[in-house]
Order: sequence, then structure tokens, then C-alpha cells
Amino acid sequence: MRSRVLGFVAVTFALGLAGIVGTAQTNGAQTQTPAAGPTTAARGAGPATAAKGKVPRTPWGDPDLQGVWDYRTITPLERNRELGTREFYTEAEKKALEDRAGRRMDAPPEEIRPGLNHSQWWTDPGRFVSDGYRTSLIVDPPDGRVPALTADGRARQGRGGNRNNAVNASWLDRGDQERCITYGLPSASLPTLYNNNIRIVQAPGTAVIVHEMIHEARVVPLDGRPRLNDNVRAWIGDTRGRWEGDTLVVETTNFNGKHSYRGSTTGLHLTERYTRIDEGRLELRLTVSDPTTWEKPWTVLLPMRPTEGQLLLEYACHEDNRSMFNLLEVARDAEKTGKAPSRSEPADDRQER
Amino acid sequence: MDRARVVLVTVIVALGVSSSLRAHHSFAAEFDANQPVTLKGTVVKMDWVNPHTWIHLDVKNPDGTVTRWMIEGGTPNTLVRRGFTKKSLEAGTEITIQGYRAKNGANRANGADMILPDGKRLFLGSSGTGAPKEAPEDQK
Repeated sequence: MRSRVLGFVAVTFALGLAGIVGTAQTNGAQTQTPAAGPTTAARGAGPATAAKGKVPRTPWGDPDLQGVWDYRTITPLERNRELGTREFYTEAEKKALEDRAGRRMDAPPEEIRPGLNHSQWWTDPGRFVSDGYRTSLIVDPPDGRVPALTADGRARQGRGGNRNNAVNASWLDRGDQERCITYGLPSASLPTLYNNNIRIVQAPGTAVIVHEMIHEARVVPLDGRPRLNDNVRAWIGDTRGRWEGDTLVVETTNFNGKHSYRGSTTGLHLTERYTRIDEGRLELRLTVSDPTTWEKPWTVLLPMRPTEGQLLLEYACHEDNRSMFNLLEVARDAEKTGKAPSRSEPADDRQER
Repeated sequence: MDRARVVLVTVIVALGVSSSLRAHHSFAAEFDANQPVTLKGTVVKMDWVNPHTWIHLDVKNPDGTVTRWMIEGGTPNTLVRRGFTKKSLEAGTEITIQGYRAKNGANRANGADMILPDGKRLFLGSSGTGAPKEAPEDQK
């Protein structure tokens, strides 16, 4: 514990120094691009960034987006409110954040002690600020945050979801991702604790997007066929794609609403724009819309780079999901010893899925 | 503390507890963060299975009996990207594992880190351990 306290003091002190440097850099230049950062044109929230290098092409002439792409980053989805509309960290802030992330990744583990859990050592969130300096992955609206909920959206908050500390009467009490059904969209497209990679495969008239977390392979028809009837619904929706210039535009609708992202419903509509900037960079601009949940759409910019080794083992989540058996066994044993009630809540109040 | 420093510290703290990051299954439902265990034993086998790896470890008790433990590790993809492969941990290897025991007292634990015979410590599944890799030039 002592080492952790000392570490916090040291980090705070270091950040304090960094903050002084940051003050000097931000005075009168709050929204200017840091000298070492990418150009403003390359970082705005507008249309897809134009390709800077020679974009590889498939034998049939489409831009070649294929490969395994890494989108790890320490930039949060939403900007800290203290930063307001400031899109970019200063050089000092960026360095402090990346140094901290690096220490977390590289330092030998602390001696085992009560109170930690696996997330400290099992994670693979990366060590770099997105796009060099970005303060949030959300680039629209300008405050870098998910827009306000509608009244309906507010009413839906807190329903369902994963009850990590509840007694678990059944696998039905657990979240969709824990049951290996789906990580859900747009979650599977956003950085998380580990498995932050996608694979893109193309054929004439079709693309496939494979999300490492937790196993989705989304087939994207590019032949102009109409989307499915409104009555046909799926966990990860129905997807259609098209080319706009060199950008692959992927629209997903027809969600069944059983997996909710922050209260989203069957009205969820995702627009993904994948642009290959050059050999070493793929950009995703993801616009999320659900008028019954948020007051307006919001857009994420997620730069990706080729995954080292291009390795993506199949992540067949349900293949050997021992955790489900184990946690239910824990719950049953707790019941036998009288340490926990036999049910977390009435069965008819559980979300049937 | 001036405003810029307040902002910076706030930003750092906020990043450290970002709620948008999540694993795909619960630690708390299965393991007890207040039951850290240190296990010294012989590797029987390692299951390279999805969604998480498992190490089977024979641990000799003070009375001479042997108890078989199962230790949960990181995802196969994450381990392989770290350079930890099927050949990294052969059966018969003597290792020490630190982790957190199952809540019901079963001989299972969530592995936090591992000490190999040569004293080298490995995290069970996280990045940046053992042989930290440099970032691509354009990411620096």
C-alpha cells in the first residue's frame, strides 16, 4: 500500500510539473495544434480525411482495406468535462499520460495483496493518445461527449446489463458479453480493456469485418441490395455497404434491441466510414444515432494501424467459457452455506434473452 | 494549484478510471480480491482455449500430498502478442503463481503474475511485460 501511495504522490508531483509546462504552452493557444501534432485538416470532425499516401487496391480495383488493424489507445471515448471543447492535449499533457500508461504496462507487478483484481494485469489498452493528441475519441459534438439522453433514454437507464456482484440464479442473470452472445455494437468497434483489433477481408461485392471482441464476423454486401424488412431483426443488426470515393461506408440497422448500448433500442443506426489513409493507417469514423435514446447523433474518430504480426487468432468466446460454470458454482455454494439468498431477484423480473 | 494543473491531474485521474473500458466477463462473480494466494508448483498442462487460458498446476502441500490447481490466464490472442506461446510453459516446469482464489474456496485462482525458474516475472496476459515493445515511429 505504501508503495502505491508514494507512487501516487510521485505521479501527482510529476504531473504538477507537466502542468506548469502545459500552462506555458496553452496560454493564448488553447485550441491550436501542438507543433509536433498532425495538421488541423487531418484531425477535424468533418468528412473522412483524404488519403495522404498511395492507397493499395484490390485486383478488382477497390481500395484495399484488408488486414488486421489495431485501435488500442488511452484516449477516452468521452472528453473530460474540465477540458470543454479543447480537442487536443498539449505536448506536456500527452507525455504525462503516455508515460503513466507506459509505466503501468512495463513495471513489474506489485506483490500480491488484497484488493486488486485481474484487470490490472490482464489488460491491453495500449499506451498512446489517439491521433497523437486527441482528448476524446468523440469528435462530434464539439464537447467530445455522448449527447444528452432523451426522456425515454433516461427512463431506460439502469435496466438490464451485467450484475457483477449479484448472486446469480441463472446464466440469464449475466450480461450478453459474459454469455458469449455478443459484445454488442457499437461496443465491439470501440477500444476496451483488451482484444482491440479488427480484421477486414474483401471480395468483389462483399466485405467482412471481424471484431476480435468477442467474435463477430459482420458480412457487408456491397452490391446495392435493399436492407432487410423492418420485421427481421438481429443482435448485431443488418449491414449494407457502399463505396463513396475511396471510403467504405457501412450502414447497420435492424437491431433486435436485446443488447442495449447505454440504453439504445431497436432504433440504433450506425454509419461506419473506413478510409485507408496510407499503408500504415486506416481511419474509422463511426456515427451513432438513435433518436429515441440521444438528442442528436454522435461521431467517433478511431485511427488504426496494422497489428504487429497481423495475428488474429479466432476468439471463439463460447468455445470453452468455463467462467460461466465457475461463477454459477460460486453462487450455488454461497446458497448452501447461507451466505447469500437463493435468488438475486424474482425470476419474472429478469431479462429473458 | 493553478487551473492548468488542476485540469491535467483531473484528466489523468479520469483516464485511469475510464468507465468505457470493460472486460467481457466478471472477476467479482468468480474470484475474491481479498483472497490473494501464492502457489508454487509443477505445471501439468496449459489449456490454450477461448475465451481464456488455464494453467493446471500441481502444488505440494506441507504434509506431502499434492493438490491440483487451475489458474485462469489472459486471452490466447493477448498472450501470443506478448510473445508467450504454447512452447513458453512446458509440462514439468516449476513456477510460482500469484493470484486470487475462487470465492467458494475451490482450487481455482485468477492468475495475476508468474515467476519462472530463472526468476523472470511474467504477467498472465497483459501487455508491456517481459519484453516491452517499442511503438511504431509514427505513434511516438
